Amino acid sequence: MTSSSLAKPIPRVSLNWLLIAQALVIVPFALHVPVALIVLWLVCSFWRIQIFRMRVRMPGTWIKSGLLVGTAGGIYLARGSLIGLDAGAALLIAAFILKMLEMQNRRDALVLIFLGFFCIAVGYLFEDSLLWGVFTLLPITTLLAALIGLQQSGISSKPVATLRLSAKLLLQAVPLMILLFLFFPRLEPLWSLPQPSNKALTGLSDSMAPGDIAELSKSAELVFRASFDGPLPPRNQLYWRALTLEQFDGRRWSQSSRAQVPDAPQWRREGERVSYSVVLEPTGKPWLMTLDVGQTDLAGVRQMSDFRWQRRRPVEQSMLYNVESWPDAVRETVLSDGARLQALQLPAKGNPQVREWAAGLHRRHPGTDAVVDALLSYFTSQPFRYTLKPPALGANSIDDFLFGSRAGFCAHYAGAMTFALRAAGVPARVVAGYQGGELNPDGHYLTVRQFDAHAWVEYWQPNVGWRSVDPTAAVAPARVEQGLEQALAADEEFLSDSPMSALRYRHLAWVNSIRMSWDNLNYGWQRWVLGYQGQQQLQVLGRWFSGFQAPVFAGGAAVILGLLALWLFKPWRRESDSQLRLFNHFERLLARQGLKRQPGEGAQAFAQRAAEQLPAHAGAISDFVREFEAQRYAGADGSVGALRQRLKFLRRSLPWRLSAVRGKRP
Amino acid sequence: MIERFKPAWQRWLGRRIPPATRVELDHRRIFILPTRVGGTYALILFLLLLVSINYQNSLAYGLTFLMLSVGVLAILHTYRNISGLILSGGHARSVFVGEPVQLRLRLESTGHGHQAIALGWDSEQLEQTDVEAERLVEVGLTLPALKRGWMRAPRLRVESVFPLGIFRAWSWLDLEQTVLIYPKPVAGTMPLLQGVQPHAEDDGHATTGPGVDDYQGLRLWQPGDSMRRMHWKAWSRGQGLMVKEFSDLSGHDLCLDFMALGGDIEERLSRLCYWVLELSQRQQPFALRLPGFVSAVDSGDTHREACLRQLALYGVRA
Repeated sequence: MTSSSLAKPIPRVSLNWLLIAQALVIVPFALHVPVALIVLWLVCSFWRIQIFRMRVRMPGTWIKSGLLVGTAGGIYLARGSLIGLDAGAALLIAAFILKMLEMQNRRDALVLIFLGFFCIAVGYLFEDSLLWGVFTLLPITTLLAALIGLQQSGISSKPVATLRLSAKLLLQAVPLMILLFLFFPRLEPLWSLPQPSNKALTGLSDSMAPGDIAELSKSAELVFRASFDGPLPPRNQLYWRALTLEQFDGRRWSQSSRAQVPDAPQWRREGERVSYSVVLEPTGKPWLMTLDVGQTDLAGVRQMSDFRWQRRRPVEQSMLYNVESWPDAVRETVLSDGARLQALQLPAKGNPQVREWAAGLHRRHPGTDAVVDALLSYFTSQPFRYTLKPPALGANSIDDFLFGSRAGFCAHYAGAMTFALRAAGVPARVVAGYQGGELNPDGHYLTVRQFDAHAWVEYWQPNVGWRSVDPTAAVAPARVEQGLEQALAADEEFLSDSPMSALRYRHLAWVNSIRMSWDNLNYGWQRWVLGYQGQQQLQVLGRWFSGFQAPVFAGGAAVILGLLALWLFKPWRRESDSQLRLFNHFERLLARQGLKRQPGEGAQAFAQRAAEQLPAHAGAISDFVREFEAQRYAGADGSVGALRQRLKFLRRSLPWRLSAVRGKRP
Repeated sequence: MIERFKPAWQRWLGRRIPPATRVELDHRRIFILPTRVGGTYALILFLLLLVSINYQNSLAYGLTFLMLSVGVLAILHTYRNISGLILSGGHARSVFVGEPVQLRLRLESTGHGHQAIALGWDSEQLEQTDVEAERLVEVGLTLPALKRGWMRAPRLRVESVFPLGIFRAWSWLDLEQTVLIYPKPVAGTMPLLQGVQPHAEDDGHATTGPGVDDYQGLRLWQPGDSMRRMHWKAWSRGQGLMVKEFSDLSGHDLCLDFMALGGDIEERLSRLCYWVLELSQRQQPFALRLPGFVSAVDSGDTHREACLRQLALYGVRA
C-alpha cells in the first residue's frame, strides 16, 4: 500500500466491521474500566455513525483536544494515577474510543485496528477464563474483517463475504498457531511490569478474628484445584496449609513477625510420599497451599520457618506448581528459644478462667499428649455446637466460648485450643488453610473453594516436634469427613447468600454432572493452556519429542504450510489451465513456422489459416484444435493427456526451426 | 543511483518476464514483499510478544501466535489473489501527439476471483478493479502521447495487497501494446506543391502561388451544396443564399508537399497533418508528397489513415 492509498477514505464495509469490532472489544472491559468510559464510547460511536450518515461534521481540533484532556483527567480521578496497569488499560481503551471519532482515512483505520488487537491482549491480563478466550475470537474475527475491508476496492464487496474470508483466514491459521504455542520457548519476564490488581479478592488473610472464616464460608469461589499422581489420600488427611498464626492479642490471631524471617525449618522425611500438582487461582497473597510437609522446586518460592511455602511476589495470576509431601514427616524436634517463646505467647491478661482451667489440666495430666487428649475429650463431652452463626462473645472471648456459649466455627475451636495449650505450657499455634475439597470424578482432581477454609492447631513437644490436631473434628466430624454442607445443622442454609450457585443444587444429579464436566473443562484449560509456561512446557515437550524439538517444529511448520498451500491452490483442479497451457504451446509451435495468431482470432479460425499454410500438417493441426475446443468449450470430458498426445504428434510432424519468426508490428 | 540500475533492471525483467500479448501471472512472474503496513504489523506482533513474555500470559501468547500465523498465511493469500490472472492487451486507437492514448486491457479469471487488482504504469498511480471468478473485465488505462511514431506501452504494473495489506504481490508485464502516434495537427496555410502537380493534366490550370486559399468567390446556392460552405454573412445581408466556391472544386487535384513548408521537420509534419485532416473532412481528394514518398490522389478514410501513417512514421521507420 502506497502512501497515497493510505490517505484514501475508509470503505463502508471496513467501517461497519470496525464499529462492531469496537463494541465487541470494549463490552467485556466494562467491569475493568471506569463506567464513564463506556458512556464515552456510546457517545463517540453514535457521533461516528452520524458523521458517516453526513448528519454532523468531524470534530474540530478544539473538541478533540478537549476530549483527550478530559478523558485523561477523568481516568486520573477515577484511578488516582495515570500509570499502573489499571490506568494504563483505561487509557488504552480511551485512545481506542477517541481514535474512532478522529478516523478519516485508511491510515487512521489501520491504527484503530492495531489498537484493537492490543486492547484484546491487555484484556487477557484481567480475565483469562475459557469463556473469555472463546469470546475474544469474535472481536479478533471482526477486526480482521475490518482490515480486509480496508484493502477491498469497495465496488462489489459485501460485508458478510468479508467476515467469512476473515474467519477462513483465522481457521487456516489455527494449526500453525498451535504449533507455535507448543514450541515457542517461554522466557522469564524481561522486566517487571505493573500487575493487574485484584481488589475484590476474598480469601485467607494474615490475621484472623473468629468471625473471618465464617465469612469466607459464604463464598463458593474457587481457590485451587489439585491433581494427585497416585491415589487420593483420605479426606480427613487433606489439610492444606497456607500459613500459621502465632500472635494473639486477646481478640485476633495474626502472623508473628518471626514468621517473616526466611529460615528454613528442620524436618525429616518419614513414611509415604504424596505427589500432586496444584493450580492456584489469584489470591493476592504470597503463600501457596501444600499438604504437610510439602516440597516444591518452583523458582521464586521458598519454605519459611513455619513450614509454609511463600512466593516472592503475591499470586496475581493463576499459577501451577508441583509438590511432593510427606504427611508423616518429623518436624523440628529442636525448637529455638525465640520460637518457643513465640509459641507460648499469651496476652498479659484476660480469659482468667481458661488460664486457671488449663493450669489444672497441666497439673492433672503429665505429658503433652495427655493434655491434648483431655482438651479434645472436653470438646466431645460438653454440648459443643458447630455453627456459622455463633452468638456474640464478650471481652473474655475464650472464657465465654469454652464455658458459656459453646457454639462456634473452626476458628473458635482452634483459637480456644491453642490458648488453652499455651496456658498449660505447651507450645502451640493456629494453622490457617483449607480442609478437604470436592473430588471431580471426570478429571480425578480436587476442587477447593473458599468455603473449605479451615483453621486447626499445631502443638510441639521435645523430640517429637510439631503435631497437628483438629478440635473441629472432635466436635463436628462431618466437617472433616464430608464437608461444610454436611456439617451444618439443618436450619443453617449452605451458601445462603448465593442462591444461583450450582453448588447448592448438588443433590440434583444432572445439574451436578454438568457442573462437574464444566469444572473439569475449566481445569483442563487452566492446566494445559494457561499453565503452559516454563516447566510445564519443558515437561510436555520433553515427554513427547525429547531431543527432537527443533526438527519436529520445522517439519510441522513445513507440513502445515504445504498442506495449506495445496488446499489453497488446488493444483489438481488446474485441468482447464493445462488445456490453456497446451494451447499456448501449440501457438508457439506454429509461431516458429511463421504463423502468429492475430489478436482476437479464434482457435478455429487460426487453425484453418494454419492448415492452409501448412497443408502437410493440416490433419494434425485440426485434430489438436478440435480436441481443444471440445474440452474447453463444449464441456467434453476428455483427458488433458489426450490433448497432450495430439500436440506431441503435431510437434513431431512439424519441421524443426530454431527461432520464432519476428511477428509483424500491427 | 536508482537511475543507474534501471537499464540493468529492465534487461533482467525482459529476460525474466518476456513480452507476450497474453500473460498468465504465475510464480515466474509474481514478486512478493511486505509493505510498510506489514512492517507496522510486525511491530505490533513484537509488542504483543513483549506483553506475553512479561506477563507470562498464555492467552496473549496465543493471540500473538494467531496473528503471526495469519501474517504468514497472508503471503499465500496475497500470492493466490494475483496468481492465475490472465492479462492481455486490447487494440488501441491511434491518437495525435498531446492527446491521451486509451489502452484497453483485458483481465481474465479462469479459476477463483481476484480482488482489488491495481493496474498502472508506475507504482504511484494505479487503478483498482475486481475480477470475479471465471469472468472477464476490461480496463482502460491512459498514457500521454509525447512523440509521433510507434509508441510502445511501458511495462504494466499489476499489483495487489489483498487481503490484509501487509504483503504486496506485483508483476511488471510487457503486453506488447503498440500504438501509432500521429503528429500534432497545426493550422496554417495550405502547403501546396509548387510546380507540377502529380496528376495534373496538361490543360489543367494549376492553382499557383503560395498562400492562395483557393477561394474563388461566391455563387448561388444549389440543392446538394454542403451547408458548411454557406456564406451566412451574405444571407444575413439579404443577398440570398450564397455558397463559397473554392477553386479545387473545379476538379483540379491538390498535392500537399513537404518541401513547400519551412521550419523544422516536426513543424512541417504538423502542418501537413492538419491539412490531411482538413481536406479529408471536406472530402476533397488530395495527394501527399514527402521526401521518398508520393501518394496517389485520393480521398476517404483509408487514404487519410495511410497519409497519417506516413506522416507519423516519417524518418522514424527502422
